[in-house]
Amino acid sequence: MKIVCLIKFVPDLDNFTYDYERNVLVRENAKLVLNPDDACALAFALDLKAKRPETVVEIVAMAPGSVLPLVEDLLRRKADRATIISDRLFAGSDTYATSKIIASYLKKTGYDLILTGTRSVDGDTSHVPSQIAELLDLEQLSHIVKIHEVSPDGDTAIVDADTERCLERYEIELPCILSLSSESKYKLPYVRYRDLKLDVRDRITVLDNEALGVPESETGLKGSMTRVKRTFTAAPVQEKKRIVVGTDEKGIETVYQFLKYKGFV
Amino acid sequence: MKKSLVYLDKEDIKSSIELLEAVNRIYPDGGYETYAFCVNGLSDAAMGKFDYVICVEHEGIREHDVRNLTNCLEEAHRAYHFDSILIPATYRGRMLAPRVAMRLGVGLVADVTDVSCKHGEVELIRPAFSGKLFAAVVTNRKKPMMMSVRPNVFTYTPGAVKDTEIISFRPDNVQPARLRLTERIEAEKAQDIRESKILISGGGGTAAHFDMLYSLAEALGGMVSASRRIVDSGIAPRSIQVGLSGKTVSPKLYIALGIYGSVQHMEGLKNVESIISVNTNRNAPICSVSDIVVEGDSQEFIKKMVQKINDEKIKHRGAEA
Repeated sequence: MKIVCLIKFVPDLDNFTYDYERNVLVRENAKLVLNPDDACALAFALDLKAKRPETVVEIVAMAPGSVLPLVEDLLRRKADRATIISDRLFAGSDTYATSKIIASYLKKTGYDLILTGTRSVDGDTSHVPSQIAELLDLEQLSHIVKIHEVSPDGDTAIVDADTERCLERYEIELPCILSLSSESKYKLPYVRYRDLKLDVRDRITVLDNEALGVPESETGLKGSMTRVKRTFTAAPVQEKKRIVVGTDEKGIETVYQFLKYKGFV
Repeated sequence: MKKSLVYLDKEDIKSSIELLEAVNRIYPDGGYETYAFCVNGLSDAAMGKFDYVICVEHEGIREHDVRNLTNCLEEAHRAYHFDSILIPATYRGRMLAPRVAMRLGVGLVADVTDVSCKHGEVELIRPAFSGKLFAAVVTNRKKPMMMSVRPNVFTYTPGAVKDTEIISFRPDNVQPARLRLTERIEAEKAQDIRESKILISGGGGTAAHFDMLYSLAEALGGMVSASRRIVDSGIAPRSIQVGLSGKTVSPKLYIALGIYGSVQHMEGLKNVESIISVNTNRNAPICSVSDIVVEGDSQEFIKKMVQKINDEKIKHRGAEA
């Protein structure tokens, strides 16, 4: 069985800065990390591979070449191979163009199951998994918190999805796209000590658009249907006239009287 | 006359209907007709508010069958040529909207929290980078303009009651579904912080004693919510997170304990009537929007407040007897 894991590298949210004077994100210093939901997707695939050694796990990422060391690290965790889709033409692609580019590769390669994260912490649109599913005519489910079973003959999977209102259990035919949530708590395995410096470069393929052949007009800004016109931080909220008290008896009494006056107690 | 379609998600009819306010902001000068899209069963709540309700009746389509819903919406669009399609960003809406946009070959803006129309150009505002900033997004002029809209953000004020026309719609393109919903487990999940009038909310300052918040919530008959700090540390589930990367809430009373009040947290508070903040730092941003600031330790505050409320209840009962 071949599992393709679609992953994204995102700026580390705790370490990026915003230039308030120029109104832009300072991306230069932003360290890239594996998107948390996507890490769970890959973790599940590697776990399944550990149980069923005949499973082949391929990582697919659309990313700049600078992610190579990060991808190498994932291969050392026993993923079989990785494909990095990378071309200057792709810069500025919105989710529509991105989905078309990635789907064009997936159409060429084979898969029995595609795993992704549900949302990325940077764009947070959750569009790409659904849009790739649309292009490949596959079923897709988001917010998966548990994959109970992937039948060994590759027919179906049984999964739990957290809809926020309840937990829903689905039986879904393969091939399909399962998008995991980081609440699934699947954890990537550690790199074995002896593999820390393992040379994995021969297992990485970098594909540019010459190999993919997506019409240029469908890539980057040209192929995008939406455009970010400007970004801004939230307007400061209006201040209230406030009463400041302590946690002494007087303070508690003040809060209590306020709650009483407003009808909360 | 512009035509705008709103998808009604049965899981959240109220938020779906509130998308009418977003439609209103796309066309501030009026001159538009609204269509609601309902699958298997008419939503009474839409009557009188929309100009038309498209009722899809087909035994082969279920609400979780996003592929067939996409087929259906495509057929409806081919028949009516909508200028805009709005889908609530609910669990299913977030899977449906991207598929429909791809099918129709148009752009999609996700999780819209505001709409503004300047010089005929519609700007769709959405949070990005976990709410650290906002992006104003424009789509190319291809029709329909599509967006998914964050639930509980827009407030729709019904105007004159409309004479809603019901259109029954029988789709042709229905395919066998390749997924089956076998079970629904309505666990504690059923409780939604967006529906609580009183929220007792904990931030980083309550990490060591977060469980205590439940005693105060119980005394006041409210629910417990949390900030991103608490959720990221694994102390509380994401389902009770307030803020841009969590939920937008509108309780009447919000008690913020040990919450700093980052911009992204504050954006999750919409039309909150009263805020009481308890913080060791009286200059934390949340304090500036609070009615009462209690400067001090949240653990101590909870203990004393629960005691006070219970004492008063006993006194009250004593007086009644």
